[in-house]
Amino acid sequence: MKVTWILPDGSEKSASVENGMNMMQAAVAHDVPGIVGECGGTLSCATCHVYVADDWQGKTGVADEFEDAMLDVAEAERREGSRLSCQIEASDALDGLVLIVPQA
Amino acid sequence: MTVWTPTDDGNADLTSHDTFINGAPHNTFARLRRDDPLHWTAYDDGQDFWSVTRHADITEMNRNFAVFSSARGIRMEDQTHEEYLARRTFQETDPPEHMMTRIKVAKAFSKPVIAQFEQDIRTLCDEILDETLEQDSFDATKDIARQLPMRMLGRILGLPDEDLPWLVEKGDALIANTDPDFTEHVLDRMTTDEFRMMPFNSPAGAELFVYAKDLMARKEASGDTSGVLSLIREPAKDGSTITEEEFRNFFCLLVAAGNDTTRYSIAAGLQAMCHQPELLEQMKTGDIWDTAPDEIIRWATPALYFRRTATQDYEMHGKTIREGDKVLFWWSSANRDEAAFDDPFRVKLDRSPNKHLSFGQGGPHVCLGMWLARLEVRVLFQELAKRLASIEPDGPHEFLRSNFVGGIKKLPVRIRRA
Repeated sequence: MKVTWILPDGSEKSASVENGMNMMQAAVAHDVPGIVGECGGTLSCATCHVYVADDWQGKTGVADEFEDAMLDVAEAERREGSRLSCQIEASDALDGLVLIVPQA
Repeated sequence: MTVWTPTDDGNADLTSHDTFINGAPHNTFARLRRDDPLHWTAYDDGQDFWSVTRHADITEMNRNFAVFSSARGIRMEDQTHEEYLARRTFQETDPPEHMMTRIKVAKAFSKPVIAQFEQDIRTLCDEILDETLEQDSFDATKDIARQLPMRMLGRILGLPDEDLPWLVEKGDALIANTDPDFTEHVLDRMTTDEFRMMPFNSPAGAELFVYAKDLMARKEASGDTSGVLSLIREPAKDGSTITEEEFRNFFCLLVAAGNDTTRYSIAAGLQAMCHQPELLEQMKTGDIWDTAPDEIIRWATPALYFRRTATQDYEMHGKTIREGDKVLFWWSSANRDEAAFDDPFRVKLDRSPNKHLSFGQGGPHVCLGMWLARLEVRVLFQELAKRLASIEPDGPHEFLRSNFVGGIKKLPVRIRRA
């Protein structure tokens, strides 16, 4: 699947991601600034916080209880569409996904 | 820079605390990374363990908490189930249980909450440095590195200043329980098992438990809602609150693990400045503050290893880790891995990327206090650099006697003021 990150300066970065990989791993592998993933995707930090673009929010699912708690400790403000990108897994259904990287 | 451990012939005994009095045995780690990356150590009649020394291997295994569990202890020494129950903190749990506790304390240590302390930290650094730098030579661990985390602990917990030296002394006795400079009850030299059930096998742990309990009661009685401790006691979204047991264990963790680690990061940074004079120049002029704290913390690696226990068989490098085997992740080795870091034995304040593992990054137990540690390190060195013209060694430095906590406990320096 293809994913596009919109960076805080408005520029875009796209990558092709294998199914099963999560969006934090994809971002780290492609050096997307602002996505760190300090806990390796185990829901112990909030350094892979993204805003899912409006059109995609219905398809990426909703945060579970732990993710929801960790979103409250993220650096950037929480908004509609806030997710920890380690919890969004690549799949054919998400081909074309757009993620907005918050301003640090 | 030379490797720190001239006495290390490449076959150091990792089970011996004495091995580490000259610093981590980096020659041994280098040999293991190269020739024997999954290394078996026969230890004390059945307490054998595996050592993992490569950065890539640790990164792969650390996130696999289902196979490599923290719930049977995080130090190489064995403990019984009773001991485990008596002294565990959320460090010694696995997801999802780990997460249930962690979410109760995560907010208090989150990046945005911690960022609000910057001015407080700067004020504390002013106090510490104004006083210390009046001397031309001094022990930089005692007079600088030890001071900031201790005073900051008091600030964030809302503790009275006069309690702080006592608390830090107890924290040291608890975590540096193998160094006779820090405790009368040296863990590996004790003959009775009198302290076995106490937190961190130490009477200091029992004393801290009592202090924590009284503190919580005092705060409740007076309606004091200031400080991180109150934030921690607020009900979570599901209405649950931290239990008294969780609270006192967490308090011990803050006083012990959260205090000396930042101290030894600062000490290692100061030691590096003594041996690489260009660092002070870069701190004065360079735009290195986004990257310098992590490089100093990589260099320090205060937690030398954490242990996991295999919950099932696991194949690696042609060997089989058996269910129940102890597995040590040597952060200290990973942070000097030539395959992960260019010129790993040199401090480069602008190192980027810097995928060091000092905070246990890449797994569920990633350091809760990492934002505070980074902030304290940054502000301290910013304030120090402004005030110094030079810093150099004033005699040999001494490491802690511990194969668990890596730290320079004594660092004599001579300085010139700017």
